Amino acid sequence: MQVRSMHFKARAGEKLADAQLQVNLGRAKSKFVDKRAHAILDLEDFEATRGAAKELRDLTLGDLDLWLERFETEATKRGATVLWARDGAEVCQMVIDIGRRHGVRKVTKSKSMLSEEAGLNQALGAAGIQPVETDLGEYILQINDNEPPSHIIAPVFHKSKEDVSALFARTHHLPPKTDIQEMTREAREVLRPHFLSAEMGISGGNFLVAETGSVALVTNEGNGRMVTTMPGVHVVITGIEKVIPTLEDLATLMRLLPRSATGQSISNYFSLLTGTARSGETDGPAHMYFILVDGGRADMVGGEFAEMLRCIRCGACMNHCPVYQAVGGHAYGWVYPGPMGSVLTPLFAGIENAIDLPQAATLCNQCGVVCPVKIPLPELLRRLREKQVEQRLRPRSERLALNLWSWVAQRPAWYALATKWAVRYLNWLAGGRANIPVLGVAPEWTLGRDFPAPEGRTFRELYAERQAKRGAR
Amino acid sequence: MSSREDILGRVRRQLGRTPENAVRGRSAMEGYIAARAPGPHGIISGDLVSHFRDKSAALSSSVEDITDLAQAPAAIARYLASHGLPQQAVCWPRFAALDWKAAGLQVESRPTHGADLVGISGCFCALAETGTLMLCSGVDTPAALSLLPETHIAIVAAERIVAGMEEAWTLLRSELGEVPRAVNFISGPSRTGDIEQTIVLGAHGPYRVHILILGTP
Amino acid sequence: MRVGLFVTCLVDLMRPRIGFSALKLLETAGCEVVVPATQTCCGQPAYNSGDRANALALAKKVLSEFEDCDYVVAPSGSCAGTIRSHYVDLAGDEPGLAARMAKLSAKTYELTDFLVNVAKLQQVPGSYAGSITYHDSCAGLRELGVKAQPRALLAQMPGVRLREMSGAEDCCGFGGTFSLKFGAISAAIAEKKCADIAAADVDAVVLGDLGCMLNIEGKLSRMGAATKVLHVAEVLAGNLDQEER
Repeated sequence: MQVRSMHFKARAGEKLADAQLQVNLGRAKSKFVDKRAHAILDLEDFEATRGAAKELRDLTLGDLDLWLERFETEATKRGATVLWARDGAEVCQMVIDIGRRHGVRKVTKSKSMLSEEAGLNQALGAAGIQPVETDLGEYILQINDNEPPSHIIAPVFHKSKEDVSALFARTHHLPPKTDIQEMTREAREVLRPHFLSAEMGISGGNFLVAETGSVALVTNEGNGRMVTTMPGVHVVITGIEKVIPTLEDLATLMRLLPRSATGQSISNYFSLLTGTARSGETDGPAHMYFILVDGGRADMVGGEFAEMLRCIRCGACMNHCPVYQAVGGHAYGWVYPGPMGSVLTPLFAGIENAIDLPQAATLCNQCGVVCPVKIPLPELLRRLREKQVEQRLRPRSERLALNLWSWVAQRPAWYALATKWAVRYLNWLAGGRANIPVLGVAPEWTLGRDFPAPEGRTFRELYAERQAKRGAR
Repeated sequence: MSSREDILGRVRRQLGRTPENAVRGRSAMEGYIAARAPGPHGIISGDLVSHFRDKSAALSSSVEDITDLAQAPAAIARYLASHGLPQQAVCWPRFAALDWKAAGLQVESRPTHGADLVGISGCFCALAETGTLMLCSGVDTPAALSLLPETHIAIVAAERIVAGMEEAWTLLRSELGEVPRAVNFISGPSRTGDIEQTIVLGAHGPYRVHILILGTP
Repeated sequence: MRVGLFVTCLVDLMRPRIGFSALKLLETAGCEVVVPATQTCCGQPAYNSGDRANALALAKKVLSEFEDCDYVVAPSGSCAGTIRSHYVDLAGDEPGLAARMAKLSAKTYELTDFLVNVAKLQQVPGSYAGSITYHDSCAGLRELGVKAQPRALLAQMPGVRLREMSGAEDCCGFGGTFSLKFGAISAAIAEKKCADIAAADVDAVVLGDLGCMLNIEGKLSRMGAATKVLHVAEVLAGNLDQEER
């Protein structure tokens, strides 16, 4: 997907002013946040489970090459072909090659964020292969001129049912439905024939299990199962960081993923897929391919941002982020929004292309406390800010302001003088009022709120006077 | 250089991989896999069957008890009639010999191709922790039967209800040895919340799941 | 107990009375309080902006000023958090520095945490009467575990009626330089916080951080709301007479 993160601030402004979006965001926030809080009560010890998940992810990432090789061996033993792709362009080329080899004219897809990174649908279309998204949210985006998703779990988080109703009426040429149940049924009926006629199914992979060479798929709709059961060819596209050691580790992560994502104790469908159809089986693919994608991940291994590779793509961080709650996902401008997107986008798409993303955070850590694998997101955002300073990507005015503040703050006499004048100036601006409505030196502040007036004298002055009075006695 | 060598090469360099630490690493890896250590569990209150029943109901599956497999046809006929559903279905081969005709049902033991409205399956085992059915694909246990029809009816033997996923994996390894092509964990009717985060049952999979628990002690 | 009061730059400039309230509370608790005269800033703006060099320079200055105290107390979760949670990181590989920073970090506390868990203040001098709600500042809550402490101290005051608001732990949108770089988003988040405050229907919102305080006060003012905004130190200390000011 094309990177548009450099327009974050402008887009954020539009999103704040979008009244319908604000209503949609408000509704979704309470559902995800409250449901998750309720769901984690079911676990004997949520914190211990988080700790176990973090440990197993770190263990795997610490020997990622070995675990990937093990996965490759096991998957190959069971009839799958394992391919490796450096970037999105290679992913697209490989999928097209596989499609041509098997005479594929139509592909059904269940959710794959990697395929979004790679812009796969456009590439397939250009190669004469029709891709059909089957995840209801992804389908809605596809028929809306390939609109990008705004959330990694709930791709149309930003849409109202009226939006969807109008879109369906236009695309399906059927009378508009007003009821969400009816719209869902309509989508089911429109998509069912595609499921049964596609020659190839493409899925992502929530986890790759090294022990058995399997892919684990987490869905609620049943489309994941359709896409991987009906067609003769199944292609799994996923990142190299998704490998985990054992089926027991899968069980641990499955206690956390659905709860953290949607507040469910388990997703409706959870499938472990291993190899091709066995002889005599009437369903399942005859051919199975894994495309393991680098896309910037290999360079993060063992480095200062390695913790981000633990991510299991639950979306809890963005659900709890005050910035995401205010502007939604599209402002972030790429595949991954919210806190995890603010870390991954600069790393995958280039720091200079996503300058605002690590800056647009309050570092409140509402994300970090809910992350099921304990990724220290505010730490990583701060480290990205440090990288920007090191690479001299910050505005000159900011560098000057920080240097000036630091220079003065290291010189108490200068500091005392400067602050004395500053508070008297602010006090004068306030003109007796408790608040200053417009502050030229901080326009971003006073656009949306007043600036409280200072008391008028600094603590330093007043304390010195107090001590002098006491000394004099 | 192939993409594979490029990618693995970079990962190895980032990790400081040497032939010596690779040997140690592989040994540690095999040890970890062999240990199969489980993580912290979920909470199960009461006995496994009651917990399973409660969790299934919470997921909008309907649950019924039968004491003998021979009662299944009548129970299923009652269920279908009460929902105004057709009295016909496809089933797994293991249920072909049940007396469906006596219950007024037309049930064929064959794979489904999409037009069947009701599918009757068994399961490999069930998870009490979350009210989940675990089905393993195979020649006699086709996966599509629990997916394509609008109604899925599952017959679960009470002694096959285990605590959680870890217990299910242990059972699978000991009874099947090999992991089948597809292990499908099913937790209620299919659903989506994509439109306005409002949950709707019956997305692409079945609209309804009815579970018959056989032989509760 | 020799306690060094870290006043914080925002208290120094904007709300000296909070500094004097903190002083009064610590003295009431029986501490010998020193206020190093040359103190200025903990370096948080530089640290959060990714400017480690400037942040380290200020951290070293704080170390030299407060190293000799038994404890360092600040009426701010974010400043105490910077010293307690991040100074060791800033020290990096400089020989000996990390160890000294670790010692300083270990004895640095947010005010209410110190009063409850170290000084064990049994009776606060204040006599505030009215309905209040409490806003949990992010750094205080999530970095330092400040949650029960201010409430325990407020519970010592019979006139205080505490009503918890929905979203008490939600970020207010200040975020330091975030409020100056992304003002529109910051104000939108602040608006949600102020809506929660309004829904609590109380006389005052009480909190423990100047950043949050200025942000919420400024937003309530712009919204025309009458709710008072008070720092927990002011409420607990009560009226300051001429001597104490």
